[in-house]
Amino acid sequence: MQASARYKEPGQKLVQARIEYDSEIRAVEILGDFFIYPEEAISLIEKSLLGMRVSSSKDELAERVRKAASENGIEMIGVTPEGIATAVYTAMIA
Amino acid sequence: MKWRIIGLEKHDAYFNMAIDEVLMEGIRGGTSPPTIRFYGWSPSAVSIGRFQSMEEEVDVEKCREIGVDYVRRITGGGAVYHDTAGEVTYSIAGSESEFPKGIRESYAYICRYVINGLAGLGIDSEFAPINDIIHKGKKISGSAQTRRGGVLLQHGTVLYSLDVRRMFSVLKVSKEKISDKQIRAAEERVTSVSQIKDVSINGLYSALLGAFTEDKEHSFGIWSKEETAAAEKLRIRVYGTRRWNFNR
Repeated sequence: MQASARYKEPGQKLVQARIEYDSEIRAVEILGDFFIYPEEAISLIEKSLLGMRVSSSKDELAERVRKAASENGIEMIGVTPEGIATAVYTAMIA
Repeated sequence: MKWRIIGLEKHDAYFNMAIDEVLMEGIRGGTSPPTIRFYGWSPSAVSIGRFQSMEEEVDVEKCREIGVDYVRRITGGGAVYHDTAGEVTYSIAGSESEFPKGIRESYAYICRYVINGLAGLGIDSEFAPINDIIHKGKKISGSAQTRRGGVLLQHGTVLYSLDVRRMFSVLKVSKEKISDKQIRAAEERVTSVSQIKDVSINGLYSALLGAFTEDKEHSFGIWSKEETAAAEKLRIRVYGTRRWNFNR
């Protein structure tokens, strides 16, 4: 299945998740008008969410993103791990 | 540190984006000096942020119909309509050591030049984090920054005049964004220099030039042949391609 959801966290930029999933997330694309440094590292954040079960909680999704960011020295401005997690979660339950 | 200033010039969207990347590479490799450039867009163009979807942000069909270019930037941030007669754009690129270390701090530091330039025209404005400058609550300037290989590049635009109908004919404005800011009409979110002061676009350019250069050793320069050749290559390889512009 394919799904997409947008989320605007107060005080942050818009974030959108496009996902493909069955019982697990098979593909993820994170879009929006935020900033990620270095920019190429967005693929590492997207990759960190692959294989997550559709029953995952927002916290579990956010933890994956947080870990990928800290392990790879990624700086996120205008978007948070929780914001990305919320967009992905919303897409999954839609 | 002596800065090169490239005075106001107009290019198409693909060259404008390509030369910024060439500049960063040149500074990293020691073949380009730290540079501040002022430019416009001919034809008018829409630029989208690195992480945006062209199809979701831009009415591509409308752009084709009215001859507006569309390009993905190297930087994050949002979609911007660059009217050929309606704005002055700047890029500043130099070693990261020339700027505050923190990204948020360096946005504020560079945006201060724009604020000072506007103040020189008698326009009060303030920095609105992350990357905007506002006048009486309305956006008048937006910027975006990237860093790679020890080089910082920030580019940004100052609105001189505003054709709202045209802007929103090519941009698809998201409902979420507008509702969050609790503003019903998208038109009410932005203003422009000519709406506030009776000044020419060259007057705006001069004010920005003065503000960006007053604390720096600098001289006016031009692009080297190598730089323009590299930008033409990059246009063909990246910025003019569907593969880059529609990659999300």
